[in-house]
Amino acid sequence: MIIFFKAGSELRHRLNPDVDYYTRRVEADPGKSVKDILKDLGLDPAFVAFVYVEGKVKNLDYVPSEGQTITLQPPVSGG
Amino acid sequence: MDLSDREKERYRRQLTVPLWDQSLLRSSAVFVAGVGGLGGTSALYLALAGVGRIRIVDRDRVSVSNLNRQILFDEKSLGQLKVEEAGRRLRAANPHITIETSSETIDRGSLVRLAADMSLLVDGLDNVESRFVLNEYSVQNQVPYLYGAVRGWQGMVGLFHPPRTACLACFLSENRETPSPVPVFGCLPGTIGLIQATEALKYIMGLAPSLLGRLLIYDGRDMTFDPVEVAKNPACPVCSGRAA
Repeated sequence: MIIFFKAGSELRHRLNPDVDYYTRRVEADPGKSVKDILKDLGLDPAFVAFVYVEGKVKNLDYVPSEGQTITLQPPVSGG
Repeated sequence: MDLSDREKERYRRQLTVPLWDQSLLRSSAVFVAGVGGLGGTSALYLALAGVGRIRIVDRDRVSVSNLNRQILFDEKSLGQLKVEEAGRRLRAANPHITIETSSETIDRGSLVRLAADMSLLVDGLDNVESRFVLNEYSVQNQVPYLYGAVRGWQGMVGLFHPPRTACLACFLSENRETPSPVPVFGCLPGTIGLIQATEALKYIMGLAPSLLGRLLIYDGRDMTFDPVEVAKNPACPVCSGRAA
């Protein structure tokens, strides 16, 4: 199935976007979690604190559906 | 509410803002944890707005690397306790309110005393561990927690009030490693601190909709604001099992 990963400025250089400035098209096995899909892409899940999908926060165990866009959020801890 | 003539003139432009309630601001007590980039910005605007009592807590002293973003300090502040410098600046900004200061370390023991009579916790911290301490206090005492954090080009704000909403530990892990020092430029904590102050004022005045139970994720490089909902996590190590 095809899904899309999107990443903001901090993670963009690791994601290697190919659709637009933010987004990478990914072919993933149905039933796999975000964490496993990231590993398959060679992306370390430790760089992602959580993801959000369709306006809702999800953890890395979230299993995407066909066509969804998953935004990767890096840890943000400064003040 | 008995405002002096001077206060009426000071607040004149905001008293006519629809739904504005100066008496609620004047009778409120807000805890600001940390007065660096985030907390310094939010504390200044809460003071200017007329929040009646603001308690600022920060153990650090001003260093030269703070000066790219921490607006309450300048070259003359170097080496001084942040709360003393911030307290002086905030009292000068608005002499009609009460500013309380403490340079204690925020930990589980001290927070029980430091935040005891506060109605809102504003996060101006610079590390995950202290945020989890603040979050635990929020959960245990049902005091709303106005989260804020920054890094690089991104920042986020959220308002959590367990057990009505999720808490910080519902979606973040305390053990997540981040680079130290965190990369940040001045506009970013300024932007996030101002959003925190706006949400704090709205919360005090009872104005919805707000960021209650939501995060607002800001990316300054892309100039995007993404609001996202945070659901309660049934397996949350901090707030699960607590009745709403």
